[in-house]
Amino acid sequence: MDSALIGTWLAALLTLGIMSFIYKDNLYYKVCEAIFIGISAGYWFITYFWDSLYRKAWVGIVHQGDYILLGGVILGAMMLTRLFGKIGWIARWPLAFIVGATAGLKMMVYFTTNAMAQVHGTVNDMMAAFSGGDLYDLIGRLVILIGTVTGLIYFYFSKEHKGVFGGVAKVGTWFLMITFGASFGYTVMSRMSLLLGRIDFLLTDWLKLVK
Amino acid sequence: MKKYYYWFILIALIIVLILLPKPLIVSPTVSTTLTVLLGLALVVVLVLTLRGHMIGRRTVFLFIGMSLTLPFFMNFQMPIKVSPEVQTLFDAMAKLPSGSKVLAAFDYDPPSAPELQPQAEAFMAYAFKHDLKVIIMGLWPQGPQQANMAIAKVLQQPGIRAKNLRYGVDYVNLGFQSGNEFVIQRMGTSFSGMFPRDIYNTDYDKIPLLNGVENFSNIDFVFNLSAGYPGTVEWVQIAVDRYGVKVGAGNTAVQAPSVYPYLSSHKLTGLAGGMSGAAEFEQATKEIGKANTYILSQSFSHMVVIAFIIIGNAALFVSYRKSKQKGA
Amino acid sequence: MIALLRIAKSVVFISSLLFVMSILPTHSVYSQDAGPSVSDLGSITVRAHDTDNDAGGAITVEWDDPGYEKLAGFVGFLIWRTNTLAGTNDSVEVTPFGTRTYDDRSVSDDSTYSYSVAALVNGERLMSAPSVQVRSSKQWFDGRLTWVLILGLIICGAVIYFIESAKRGTKLFLRRIAGLEAIDEAVGRATEMGRPILFVAGIQDMDDVQTIAGLTILGSIARTVAEYDTKINMPVRASLVMTAARETIKQAYITAGRPDAYNDDMVHYVTDEQFGFVAAVDGIMVRERPAACFFLGAFFAESLIMAETGNSIGAIQVAGTAMPAQLPFFVAACDYTLIGEELFAASAYLSEEPRQLGSLKGADVGKAIAMIVILVGVIATTIASAWNSESMLWIENLLRQMFSTG
Repeated sequence: MDSALIGTWLAALLTLGIMSFIYKDNLYYKVCEAIFIGISAGYWFITYFWDSLYRKAWVGIVHQGDYILLGGVILGAMMLTRLFGKIGWIARWPLAFIVGATAGLKMMVYFTTNAMAQVHGTVNDMMAAFSGGDLYDLIGRLVILIGTVTGLIYFYFSKEHKGVFGGVAKVGTWFLMITFGASFGYTVMSRMSLLLGRIDFLLTDWLKLVK
Repeated sequence: MKKYYYWFILIALIIVLILLPKPLIVSPTVSTTLTVLLGLALVVVLVLTLRGHMIGRRTVFLFIGMSLTLPFFMNFQMPIKVSPEVQTLFDAMAKLPSGSKVLAAFDYDPPSAPELQPQAEAFMAYAFKHDLKVIIMGLWPQGPQQANMAIAKVLQQPGIRAKNLRYGVDYVNLGFQSGNEFVIQRMGTSFSGMFPRDIYNTDYDKIPLLNGVENFSNIDFVFNLSAGYPGTVEWVQIAVDRYGVKVGAGNTAVQAPSVYPYLSSHKLTGLAGGMSGAAEFEQATKEIGKANTYILSQSFSHMVVIAFIIIGNAALFVSYRKSKQKGA
Repeated sequence: MIALLRIAKSVVFISSLLFVMSILPTHSVYSQDAGPSVSDLGSITVRAHDTDNDAGGAITVEWDDPGYEKLAGFVGFLIWRTNTLAGTNDSVEVTPFGTRTYDDRSVSDDSTYSYSVAALVNGERLMSAPSVQVRSSKQWFDGRLTWVLILGLIICGAVIYFIESAKRGTKLFLRRIAGLEAIDEAVGRATEMGRPILFVAGIQDMDDVQTIAGLTILGSIARTVAEYDTKINMPVRASLVMTAARETIKQAYITAGRPDAYNDDMVHYVTDEQFGFVAAVDGIMVRERPAACFFLGAFFAESLIMAETGNSIGAIQVAGTAMPAQLPFFVAACDYTLIGEELFAASAYLSEEPRQLGSLKGADVGKAIAMIVILVGVIATTIASAWNSESMLWIENLLRQMFSTG
């Protein structure tokens, strides 16, 4: 028997098992769920072991002589002390290193790309609208401008949302909800796509009903 | 007995499906009839709801399942218009002269394959046909494997098979590297520092395609396929902002809205978002694939979702009316 | 009313200031250059210097074109490089029409180079005299990011100032977060119904600030749970989060005087695989039927699956995340959602920790700066467009320069 055929049937039966949850929780689903969780935990363990521990640490240090990686190994070992009550405080040091390095890298990156570039873009957009854009373009950019400012006011925590300020914050809430609706619509598309992939597998690879 | 009734129906359905003639494509008349029947069924559900008979969630699931499955057997072609953001992405690729080096970052896993694999295949086919040299890597473990699957499929096309493309000369797969955005940061100074060997354990220096490729300054374009973190956001924040390299992206529909600000601030050179983006990308590159097939099912399901939103709101108004009447 | 008058006064003042500046007399500094005549073509003047604001390995070549580009048969400018150390000559690039500058990024900081530029006309190379020898070097500071530094210092300074103020005991005002009442209500409901609480602190590890915010709120919930003897079930995706959460809940039980009621199994590791984790959480929800579900932290695609399942079992759900892509699902499927920064505000509000409070206040300073700059920039743009004023353009350009990221 062709191993690909066994793999296809296994995948199809597991897919149907997980999908059976939409009817109600049942033993078939529970078995498939347990298999999925177990395999995923095993898969990630193996991935981390071979990619990080073996390829980076062992091969890097022993075969390539990149001794600076020893620092990473020591920090990683210190992290494991978290599991032991008395010496658990040692894990704070590698965690501080990770948080500090990530903050250092991300702080300016987020500040320039997510804050300054967006402010620059918002003002720039209005310039572009005035010099050559049509009416719809101008309205669109005004909407973005109003949404940006009112959204910032909604997230301003140093003042109570009362009176005019509260009214403007409410406009910000509407903009947020409209944005969430649009984002939700995009996600419905994404979820349908995932289901489509599985249905395509069942119809094309398993049942061969469709080419 | 009643408890197992549904199981018997399901098993009987599977046996019928296995025994049906293959492939099963229905005529346009039957396709139209099925579409009309589906629409009528939704109208019936709406009428029942307005009359106070609320339907269960399983009925909704059934309609969604039918709307996604039936189009597979239909013969309709959907017209697809390429949106400006996908056109921007394609134009950037079209401007690349033959021999340009493109870094393809595969940052997704199999759950996101329905949306991103068609984009990957369209991109690889376009790159191979236009003699772009592709350097593949991934920040997700399964990404480079998805790339290999896309390459294997694309190499079967007659036009591309005739070119006798060689691994290591026309394309190379550097594999996965853990470290998230730190990998991109390090690649800014040295690719070989992050990828000393490729996915087949060949040394970086021994790969002909990588001669002279030290960092981003030797790359003409980055094409990123992303399903989350790390992904397009990190590529824009580090590769674009810090190293000035051009990045175009294909994203899942979930991630696309959060990436639009980078598009409007011109940090990102084009975006293909979700299944519709994939279908448009296939149209733009003229590499028609799975996304164009899926888009019909996608559209049907969206219409069904819209119908149920209307039905749901109708149910809400009916229940308001009932509670008001009770209160009165 | 008074606040409204104050705001109106400020707006009128700023607008009139800008208007007055826009009608100030200005003089144009633009002067029309006389075009070169074809017969009067001199040699190309080439200048080379180390590229500014880089990490070395680059030289900028600039040249003046006396008029070659206007000649019929002109193809482009050929940049010719001489490595004086190695004694080699090679052509570097042919630049297209309209270019007068080129950054050569394939040089070494250890060598000196000189450049010549040749106009390519009808197959001939009309070479310039070589430039002076130049060596590339790295700069420690990228001058283009000076404003990034200044604004960064202002905002970081504000954060540090507020943190120190909070440490000294100054009461920092934070507006009321409505979602916190929903949390109390949810815990109360679970206690009344005698059913457990499910708490998910996101799927990221301890290095994500959202996880830390989630665990801070867990501390507050755990104190209430310990007092009322409600069961809490907390599946986690990362082992470090498990140990941190166990400590948090254990401390809460000790504070409530119920150390014996604490059990390590309240917090349990499931799997690192994203959808494996959510499958397990869904299973827990369907089997144990918690009365209240809390989703506070960083989430990705699994958020809707969890929120929908919680909705289907009739649990009261409170969610909070700073992931913009996941907020719509929580808003649609949960009873209350802490949107974005409200999660951190709730965490700061509950913990009253100076660093969290100060950071939030400092971030508010950043938001205020952004709002003011956007409004001033747009007003200046509008007036400049309507009255074509150079002073308004100056303000516009200044703001663009300030917020340009290189």
